[in-house]
Formats: sequence, structure tokens, C-alpha cells
Amino acid sequence: MHFITGGAYNGKRKWVKDHYAAEHYIWLSAYSSDALTKPLQNYIPSLAVLEGLEEWIRTQIDSAFSPYTLRQRVMDQLGVWLEWEQANSCRRLVIIGTDTSKGIVPMDKRQRYLRDVTGWVYQDIVAQAERADVIWYGIAQTIKNDYI
Amino acid sequence: METGELIFVTGGVRSGKSSYAENKAIELSRKSEAKLHYIACGMPSDEEMAERIARHQANRESVPVHWKTWECPYHLQCIAGYFSKQDILVLDCVTSLLNNYLFDCALDDPPNAIESILTDITCLQETAAALIVVSNEVTQGMPHSESFTRNYQYILGNVHQQIVYYADTVFLLENGLPICKKGAAS
Repeated sequence: MHFITGGAYNGKRKWVKDHYAAEHYIWLSAYSSDALTKPLQNYIPSLAVLEGLEEWIRTQIDSAFSPYTLRQRVMDQLGVWLEWEQANSCRRLVIIGTDTSKGIVPMDKRQRYLRDVTGWVYQDIVAQAERADVIWYGIAQTIKNDYI
Repeated sequence: METGELIFVTGGVRSGKSSYAENKAIELSRKSEAKLHYIACGMPSDEEMAERIARHQANRESVPVHWKTWECPYHLQCIAGYFSKQDILVLDCVTSLLNNYLFDCALDDPPNAIESILTDITCLQETAAALIVVSNEVTQGMPHSESFTRNYQYILGNVHQQIVYYADTVFLLENGLPICKKGAAS
């Protein structure tokens, strides 16, 4: 799994498109209201891109859950994708998530909760990722790479 | 015409962006005996801004080199014709320039705003020996829920992507220290 992060409007999507340059892929975007859970369809191309992880987490926020429960729920859903990827060495899962961690701590409790969960999920993802890149205005900085 | 060198300097507030850009320009002018020009886009719209402008002016006057200051809120392409390959320009800064396009020119359509800023930069770069562009980091943190601010971040983020793409050298200033993100930190 390859995780791509960086600030908003820094060219993450463009970088992924240029880097993978694949003809066949499935691209799910939380910005287009796609669920990032693995679809039940039988055929999925060997490249799967999940975009807008922070937005997808936002849609799942439920004050009935503790931040820890939500973090686990999100990771369980991504676990289904990871199993799919690991079942065949040709498959690659790419996850794009905007870094929301570096501004002022939000005044609104819900926003703080969202930011906390997002940060924890990103840590979990990077821990499980083979590769992680931070995109800064189109320039990638590789912060982890086990592929090489 | 041969395009001049393009250097991009960005960073957080009070990270020393302007000082670094000015010193870089002075360094370049010593090598080539070129003249120094400071293109100021920030307008003294209130007391705080006036004070900030005065502090930047005092900084430029405190050094034993001569700066010619051009106060130009937008359409910088109009002054490009005044420069030649004997001139080194500092453009301070892209965020002020964008503010002026958005508020004074009511240009809030992202493609138009992006195009206007990039045209200004390209025109200045074409006539001068070197152009050092200063900007500000505003795309960090939670995406703004307010659409005007989000639009602003979208425009600035896209402008920065283009500048970084075309720039010879890019520096991110962190607490006064330059981190070279592209090109050689000579």
C-alpha cells in the first residue's frame, strides 16, 4: 500500500496520476461522495486509488463513538482493501489523504475530534504502508519506502 | 528573449521570507553588478499593514545597497517593460497580489486569478535577469469550511504548484532557515 499525503491543493491527485500512469484502475473519491469501502463487485482492476480519506472519515463521524472506536472502524474497513491487495502481488492499493494536522487547534469540538481521528488513522496507515510520500506543490518527499 | 532566473521563496508568517529573498537578491547583484528592485504588492489598507510596510522599508534602507521600490498592487506585467537583463527583482508577495486581484479587481474566478498572477510573474521573469518571488504557506490545517477561504487556498495552492514547476530554485523558510526544495542551494 502506498500512502500519499500533504496539504490541500498541493497536487497530490496529479502526482498519483503521473506516477502510476495506469490505464486500468478503480478511483474512488470521497470528494465525489464515493464510499471508500471495498465494492462488492467481482472484478477490480489491479490498481485501486482511494482519494479524500480525511473527507471519508468526516462522513463517518458519529458522536456515539469514541475517537478510538472510530479509528478502529476506519482501519477495519481499510483492512478489507489490504487483504485484497495482499491476495495478489500485482495489486496495488493507493490511499490519498490531505494533511489537516498543522493549523490552529479548531475551536469546535467536533472539528478537533475529526482532526484527532484523522491523525491517528494516518499514523496507522503509514505504519502498514510499504511506501509513503508527502507532496508539496507537486514535489514528492518519500518518507518511507520498503519497495526498494 | 532569454528568460531570467526564477527563485521561489515561501514559508509561514514571520519565518524570514522577505529578508532571505532580499539577501539572495543582493548576493546575485554582487555577482552580476545588476540593479536591485523591490516590487511591493501590499497596500497600506490599515494601520497594521502600514506599520508592516514601514518595517520592510526600514530594513531595505538599513543595508548599504540601493533598492528601487515599485508599489504595484496588480497587473505587474505593465511595469515589466521598465526592466532589463541588468535588473534583479524581488516580488513581495503573491498573497498580497492575490488579495488585490480578489478584492480590488473582483476577480474571484479561480482560472482567471491563477492566469493573471502567472502572467505577471512570466512577464517580469522574461525582462529581468532574475526574479525572486515571495509567498506564504496557507494550505496547511483543516480545509476551510467557508467557501471564500477555500477558494483562496485553492487558487494559491495551484499558483504555487505552477511557480514551483517553473522555478529554477525553491526555498521553504522554517524559522529563518532556508530548506532547499528544488534546485541547488548555492
